[in-house]
Amino acid sequence: MHSIAQKEFVSTLRDKRFLVLSVLVLALLLAATLVGRASYQTLQQERQLAQQTVNDQFRHQPARHPHRVAHYGSFAFRPRSGLSLLDSGVDSFTGTSVFLEAHQQNSVNFSQAQQSGSLIRFGEMTVAFVLQMLVPLLIIFLCFGAFTQERETGTLKLLLSQGVSLRQVAWGKIWGYSRAVALVVAPALALAAALLFGTEEFISGTDLVGRLVLFVLSYAVYFFLFIVGAVVVSAVQASSRAALVTLLGLWILGCIILPKATANLGATLYPAVTKAQMDADVHEEAQHGINGHDPQDQRSAALKAGLLKKYGVDSEEKLPVSVGGIVMSESEAYSAKVYQQHFADLNATYKRQNRLSDWVGLLNPYQAIRPLSMGLAGSDFAHYVHFQQAAEAYRYALVQRLNALQTSMGYGDKERKLDAHTWQQLPLFTYQAPPLGWALPRLLLPVVALLLWAVGLSWLGLRLISNSRLA
Amino acid sequence: MRIFWLLFSYEWRHFRAAKGLVLLCALLLLTGLYGIYYGTTEMERQRQHLTTLPELSRRNVEELKVKFPGPADAGDIGYYHTTYAVHHPDAWAALSLGQRDINPYYVKLRLLGLQNQLYATDNTNPMKVLSGNFDLAFVLVYLFPLLIIALSFNLLSSEREEGILTLLLAQPVSPGVVVGAKLAFRLAVVLGLAWLLSVVGMLWAQVPLDGRVLTWLGLSTLYCLFWFGVALVITALQRTSAFNAVALLGVWLLLVVLVPSLLNLGVAAAHPVPQGIELTIKQREEIHAGWDRPKTQTMNRFFALYPQWRDTATIRERFVWRWYYAFQHLGDLAVAKQAAAYANGLQQRYDLVEKLNLLSPAINAQSSLNALAGTDLPTHLKFQRSATAYHDALRAFYYPFLFRKVEFTHADYAREPTHTFTSQPELSTALRGLGKLLLSVGVVFAAGLLLLRARPINPR
Repeated sequence: MHSIAQKEFVSTLRDKRFLVLSVLVLALLLAATLVGRASYQTLQQERQLAQQTVNDQFRHQPARHPHRVAHYGSFAFRPRSGLSLLDSGVDSFTGTSVFLEAHQQNSVNFSQAQQSGSLIRFGEMTVAFVLQMLVPLLIIFLCFGAFTQERETGTLKLLLSQGVSLRQVAWGKIWGYSRAVALVVAPALALAAALLFGTEEFISGTDLVGRLVLFVLSYAVYFFLFIVGAVVVSAVQASSRAALVTLLGLWILGCIILPKATANLGATLYPAVTKAQMDADVHEEAQHGINGHDPQDQRSAALKAGLLKKYGVDSEEKLPVSVGGIVMSESEAYSAKVYQQHFADLNATYKRQNRLSDWVGLLNPYQAIRPLSMGLAGSDFAHYVHFQQAAEAYRYALVQRLNALQTSMGYGDKERKLDAHTWQQLPLFTYQAPPLGWALPRLLLPVVALLLWAVGLSWLGLRLISNSRLA
Repeated sequence: MRIFWLLFSYEWRHFRAAKGLVLLCALLLLTGLYGIYYGTTEMERQRQHLTTLPELSRRNVEELKVKFPGPADAGDIGYYHTTYAVHHPDAWAALSLGQRDINPYYVKLRLLGLQNQLYATDNTNPMKVLSGNFDLAFVLVYLFPLLIIALSFNLLSSEREEGILTLLLAQPVSPGVVVGAKLAFRLAVVLGLAWLLSVVGMLWAQVPLDGRVLTWLGLSTLYCLFWFGVALVITALQRTSAFNAVALLGVWLLLVVLVPSLLNLGVAAAHPVPQGIELTIKQREEIHAGWDRPKTQTMNRFFALYPQWRDTATIRERFVWRWYYAFQHLGDLAVAKQAAAYANGLQQRYDLVEKLNLLSPAINAQSSLNALAGTDLPTHLKFQRSATAYHDALRAFYYPFLFRKVEFTHADYAREPTHTFTSQPELSTALRGLGKLLLSVGVVFAAGLLLLRARPINPR
């Protein structure tokens, strides 16, 4: 078996076509790594600089009324995750910054996709793209003749007559091809790892190592199942041509047609609400609470009456707290709660839309590796939602702190301002991307799908080979 | 000529007998129909969403009428009243969705500064937009080449591999006619499918009968012809079926996948767009500085631009709406240069792609179809300009109330300007695309014919 593996490995390396193709793939991988890193650095620097700017601006505000500060607000910029230089996932299609202010939750704006024409819809050159789509093609070109060629040249009979079983031949070939593929992919991943850990901005440590290790392992499984699959197809098809056409057809179906079709079907099946409708609904429901800017509102009046009673005074002037601040705070709490419900509903709808594609991952390994890869890279939808929630949590806490400051100013707060140094004591927005332990349970389905494929193919496929009468 | 038709009819019999190919064509027909269904439902949904917006505005007005039962200060109304700038799709958008799922198709507007409202996005599922739209344009640009490859990768090689070619060429038939008849038959099948799907799509989407019908058909025909040209070149190399399949798929990969993604990188690097975020940050600084600046300073800057309001009363109050809206607008003006640079930067990126898309007929076809349907970036930029003009109209409507201290009555809500914008096709882009496709077709066919002439067909 080892000699078969060695033979496949050596003859693959001697094959000029494979050499050309693999040099091409390797070049693309290296280029994608470097480009990914360059774009990562530019975007990261831009965002860090912008975050720094708005933080400085926030801290250096002049004396202002706290509610003015709440409307002045701040921005949250989404830092990119370390591994997103390998797989940028949905990053190009999600916004990068959100304006945080009182009373409303704004959209995350300025995505890469909006800053480009429809060209971006052809796909982006990332390491993940090469690994997910092009390496399988390379594997197909490498393996389609695994058995058919031996049969066409009659060498398979020779081999079997030496007492080797078909299963052993198959495993030998799989092992040989695996080594050849590893030779193409490993340098690029090693470069990526060196880039990731060689520079000071990524000292973040074990979490990143864990993600990278799982990333590499997932792709190893992905390539393995493609190799096994291609060898199996080559064994059951009558001719090299038929094997090649079958494999290419499967590749087109799995990598081009199905992902798009299922994503579109999911969106058609579970329509999502527009931002305009959602905002209007949130507003309407929040109206049942109290409206911070609305002195005519009966609910604010009731709240005021309650305050007068609580402090045992007969007019607003005598209260030790600002009624405006308290009304504002109550209103913010209410509308934030309503918003959270609607936001959760919206994300539940998106999850249902994406669920279809996730389940198809059981049928199509490409749709299993894609979510897994971007999940490990920290650039999938779940990580994006995590950022949105962190930004909203910060917004809410900031606004409520400012409301509390206003409340403590007492009656007639609107005529007064708070000192400039007040703003320096407020916390700034810092974002900590979730750890691997948070991401993994969300990636269970694609992990299971990939493992099922690998085990299923090695078991059923190889049984198919040894039961077939090939020679 | 008679031989040509004879060969042609044999190809037809052959094709009917080959279950796999018939199945493939049927599958493509089904995916095409699904593409049309998806595109039309998606556009129908956008239209339906757009129709709900006036209703949302109406509810907002109802609420304001309750809140301000009598004549109100127009400043309050401008602050609480929301209205929408809407971008209606053209009927053609259903066949080529372009960027309509990424760029927002409405903008919610209040009388406040425009620049922090203009770039708000709609709710989108990033996984879905990452996967892209399965519309008819996708089927034509991505999948039709694959069908052409599947039909013609073994044009001569299979006959050679089965030993038929020797027999065939032993007859008094010129190899050119054989290749021509085979190609013509496949062309007829593919174009039949493409036209059928296009016509079904046009009827389904109810497009108006104008020159664009022919432009669309012309674009899809030339694009298919281009791929047949590529097949001809590969056939002329006279290699094995396996080689042909790999080579053709390689060309597909290069033109449909690699060149676009590399070009995308190149364009982004060649034209770094000034970040939109810079301008929103600067606008915020300007607007909030407005609160802290002396009122006369703000008003004098405003009056320099709008002298017609100069004779209005000097502001002595702590807060008055006309001052508030004046510094909101000054905030917009302070970033006018950045806003223009941002929009120009995006347009330049698009223009550069337009210039370079000769490199890949796939990009050319896609952007031409999008231009035809008015679903790409330039149309969105036009919509943004239209929304800006609408915001100007809103200000022009409210300013007399604010500066002349006219009370805003319930009847005035109906007088407020409304906005509508419908995508206009970028016809010149589409026609240029047609010309460039024609050029690409010419080049591949010339190359194929030259190759065939240089190396006569070898039956073995």
